[in-house]
Amino acid sequence: MGLEYVRISPGFERYMPKDYVDLVKYGQFGRQVDVQQLGQFKELVEEHPMCAGCFMAYFIRIFYASLPNPEDTIVIGTAGCARLALSQAAVPFVYGNYGDTNAVASGLKRALTIRFPDKVKDVVVIAGDGGLIDIGFGMTMHSWFRREKFTTIMVDNEVYGNTGGQESGMSPKGVQLKMAPKGKQFDKINAVELAKVAGCVYVAKLAPTNPKRIAKTIRRAILAARHFGPTFIHAYTSCNIEYSIPTEKVLEDARKREKQDFAFYEWMTDEVREYFEEIEKQSQEVKV
Amino acid sequence: MYYVAEVNESECAKYNCKQCVLFCPEPNTLMYHNTKHTAWVNYSRCKGCAICVYVCSDLLKRNCIQMVMMTTGD
Ligand SMILES: Cc1ncc(C[n+]2csc(CCOP(=O)(O)OP(=O)(O)O)c2C)c(N)n1
Ligand code: SF4
Ligand code: SF4
Ligand code: SF4
Ligand SMILES: [Mg+2]
Repeated sequence: MGLEYVRISPGFERYMPKDYVDLVKYGQFGRQVDVQQLGQFKELVEEHPMCAGCFMAYFIRIFYASLPNPEDTIVIGTAGCARLALSQAAVPFVYGNYGDTNAVASGLKRALTIRFPDKVKDVVVIAGDGGLIDIGFGMTMHSWFRREKFTTIMVDNEVYGNTGGQESGMSPKGVQLKMAPKGKQFDKINAVELAKVAGCVYVAKLAPTNPKRIAKTIRRAILAARHFGPTFIHAYTSCNIEYSIPTEKVLEDARKREKQDFAFYEWMTDEVREYFEEIEKQSQEVKV
Repeated sequence: MYYVAEVNESECAKYNCKQCVLFCPEPNTLMYHNTKHTAWVNYSRCKGCAICVYVCSDLLKRNCIQMVMMTTGD
């Protein structure tokens, strides 16, 4: 589809908003951008109302620049902060009910496979820790048990950010939040191990400190989901509001957490590893 | 008045660097000029978080970005 997807009908160019025209002329459609070229092309995601310095917003920015196939990708989100930016991108976005994302994605991916048998259609869920591991836990797990072929990305800010600071299963033990005044009583859930046991074929965990590596991880997760089965990325994306991190220290905090409990981690099945070795032999980077 | 980042373009152009551009949380905001070899800020989109200052000053010790007050309409 490429550029055809966004091309402006002749005669209408001067009536279209500048941001749209820029997207057609200098955007990602019909070509593969490198995340290192950020700042030199028109990004898919537009202005959005997420907070200043929000690293979940940063992760989403890198996510859109990393898509191997934006014109044939559908993003599924839900209630929570991430959707505030996810819904402002030139990529189709489906708003699943809170907790339902992975059920919606399962149906959508299956339907797209039937409707467009000759095309690659990537389906990616991006939702919060509350949306995927608390309230959406059952649907997330069952999509993995059923080996549904789409990618799930958890943007983990370790709190219900959008509703003002309730603890989640992903909040670290002992942390004090507005709605956990005595400190959280239980351990942070080990989402990565759950994903492996439940049948994901590619699992990664990261803190957003290295854009090139985030991009590579996202591409790998999407490509593996196309061919083999469910894939999962657990990304630390701090909430500077609920965790009172001064905005200028947000990257410093991510670097600190990377040294503690968010060291880069990647696991995949032998089949997926062989596939990457094969395609990465052909090109240095993972490309489509 | 609002708080935005401002790049000292002649200083920035001394380094072949795009690091702050890769860490701004906002899309299409902290841009890179290919022929002038400098980062620059689209002020109307900048949210004033100063993550770019952390990258340029604290991590790289290049001190090419400052936070400044802008008057609406500037
Ligand atoms: C079925 C349902 N229950 C509750 C809510 C209210 N709600 C909106 S966002 C949210 C929590 C968001 O937390 P998380 O998923 O971690 O996302 P974050 O905002 O932290 O990114 C809740 C409980 C809802 N919208 N729908
Ligand atoms: S509340 Fe927290 S997670 Fe939500 S947009 Fe603001 S900083 Fe980001
Ligand atoms: S202050 Fe924040 S939003 Fe503004 S250019 Fe710097 S990193 Fe981007
Ligand atoms: S980090 Fe500093 S030197 Fe590097 S591109 Fe940004 S402003 Fe220029
Ligand atoms: Mg959350």
